[in-house]
Amino acid sequence: MSTDEHRTLQRPSVQLLTDKQVLSGLMFMGVAIFGLWVSRDYPIGTTLRMGTGYVPRFLCWALLGLGCLVLAQGLIALRSAAQPAEPVGWAWRAPLFVTASLVVFGLTLETLGLVISIFLLTVVGALASPALRWFETIVAALVLVAVSWAIFVIGLGVTIPVWPEF
Amino acid sequence: MELLHNLAVGFGVAMTPANLGFAFIGAMVGTLIGVLPGIGPIATIAMLLPLTFHLEPTSGLIMLAGIFYGAQYGGSTTAILVNLPGETSSVVTCIDGHQMARQGRAGAALAVAALASFFAGCVSTALIATFAPPLAVVGQSFGSPEYFSLMLVGLIAAVVLAHGSVTKAVAMIILGLLVGLVGTDGNTGGTRFTFGIRELTDGIDVATLAIGVFGVGEIISNLSQSEQHRSVVSQKITRLWPTADDFRRSWPATLRGTALGSALGVLPGGGATLSSFAAYALEKKSARDPSRFGRGAVEGVAAPESANNAGAQTSFIPMLTLGIPGNAVMALMIGALMIHGIQPGPQIMAERPQLFWGMVASMWIGNLMLVIINLPLIGMWVQLLKLPYRFLYLSILLFCGIGVYTVNNSSAAVLLAAFFGVAGYIFYKLECEPAPLILGFVLGPLMEENLRRAMRISGGDPMIFVQRPISLGLLIAAVLLLVIVALPAIRSKREEVFQE
Repeated sequence: MSTDEHRTLQRPSVQLLTDKQVLSGLMFMGVAIFGLWVSRDYPIGTTLRMGTGYVPRFLCWALLGLGCLVLAQGLIALRSAAQPAEPVGWAWRAPLFVTASLVVFGLTLETLGLVISIFLLTVVGALASPALRWFETIVAALVLVAVSWAIFVIGLGVTIPVWPEF
Repeated sequence: MELLHNLAVGFGVAMTPANLGFAFIGAMVGTLIGVLPGIGPIATIAMLLPLTFHLEPTSGLIMLAGIFYGAQYGGSTTAILVNLPGETSSVVTCIDGHQMARQGRAGAALAVAALASFFAGCVSTALIATFAPPLAVVGQSFGSPEYFSLMLVGLIAAVVLAHGSVTKAVAMIILGLLVGLVGTDGNTGGTRFTFGIRELTDGIDVATLAIGVFGVGEIISNLSQSEQHRSVVSQKITRLWPTADDFRRSWPATLRGTALGSALGVLPGGGATLSSFAAYALEKKSARDPSRFGRGAVEGVAAPESANNAGAQTSFIPMLTLGIPGNAVMALMIGALMIHGIQPGPQIMAERPQLFWGMVASMWIGNLMLVIINLPLIGMWVQLLKLPYRFLYLSILLFCGIGVYTVNNSSAAVLLAAFFGVAGYIFYKLECEPAPLILGFVLGPLMEENLRRAMRISGGDPMIFVQRPISLGLLIAAVLLLVIVALPAIRSKREEVFQE
């Protein structure tokens, strides 16, 4: 066993899972394998008459290959690096509440109407920022309701329900 | 004089009150988001794509184009006054621009930046008017095999010139191509990657993907960083006019920056950011006394600012003439055309001269407006920098939500955009550039269609791509690009350029 290998083995395996390059490789491979599995029954056809699955399956295999390459590059870089690279730190607050606010908005817009869904988006969205202030958020929501109503409903004539429909 | 006739048509279209208004809105919005760090032109154009659905295609494109080059003007203001780049294309302007501001010459720096940008804008508009028509003629002689090879070269060149890992960027292109396949296959009628969800059978809309990855993804990334401290130069800007010495030093730098930016803008993967970095490096290398740079050299403002504006505008050339987007903004422009059912490609200029020439003329008008918007109103833009991000992101988030809903008229699209937002945050964390994803997404369906047609012409023989001379030449260019970037010597040089 070479000293290089020894050093890698000594490192906690956690580091493998916090390295950007390694994770990118795994992400690409994961998407590719998922794509191959989903498209397993798509007819491939011939080069002359390409079936539904011809191009997608080709691309998935290419992505799988590239994912392996990125992963390999990441592992080599980890091995030769003198200093451990800075680990990826994941935030949870912003991704969770920003996504949640859009999901709530999407689910309520057609049933509860523009005004209420904007309020919900603003309140849930405001939780994403650590500098949360309730009074400001309510004022912001009121301004946003007025502005979007003016632009989209009056200005552009978009057909969005404004109030809940019973 | 066909050119004069065409320009007359263009000005006729661009000077209508409505189009003047949209050019002004575009320039204002562009300046606004240029000034504000944390929101870039890609995200803004993505958010406003749904709005253009309700406008005339020409008016819509005039507005979107205004946002793109307006952001180049606005970005320099923040760079000079706050030492924070408003846009990535004004990163290098911080170096000397902010030094000038600290020496009490903020006004001169801002004026040089605006005037250099204006000069570059005029020159590159003229370049588009001169070189786009012959290029479109060349494009019209292309068949499906040539088109397929051209798109391949475009995608590969975009990756080579972008920064970061080339393997990751190619993987992101393929990811984009795959996302572009979601929906019903027009040739066989079969559905692909729809997971039995009815809303996905029509495919994913470019606005939904871009708003998710760039708009929502950007918000999440910004919020998960600790808020940067903004130190606005508080002194009053008294003297706006540069000194005679500033002029003497700036004009050659502006000329060089404009030339370099115009050339780099046309290349796939080029555009504003690459141009500004390259122009700054060129000035520093060619200067008689390089030590002046970093201490408030006016050339260090004039060159990158002229280059980023020139590059932003000439990147329209391949998009308008060949239908090939060189960067993510151009991919969104193609998306805007497609929303209106206009097939991008060389036929646009012949079939819709009003659209093409109207847009070219509006660029010149827009640049003129920008000088006026930027210089006398500078105080107002500086005030805007005091707006905390916690107000800004809520409005952006809402615009993303309503925008996605209106373009698709479906709540499912809003959920999809939220999903792409999380994907955008993951890409950001893993340092996977999302721009190639959008390029692949837009070009994917076109490439598949041209591949199928080429196979029908050749009877299923893939050799057709190397038997046609133009197609062969393009493929060789693609291979050469990949080989060059893989060479260790070039590789280290490339990293050096992006490090600077």
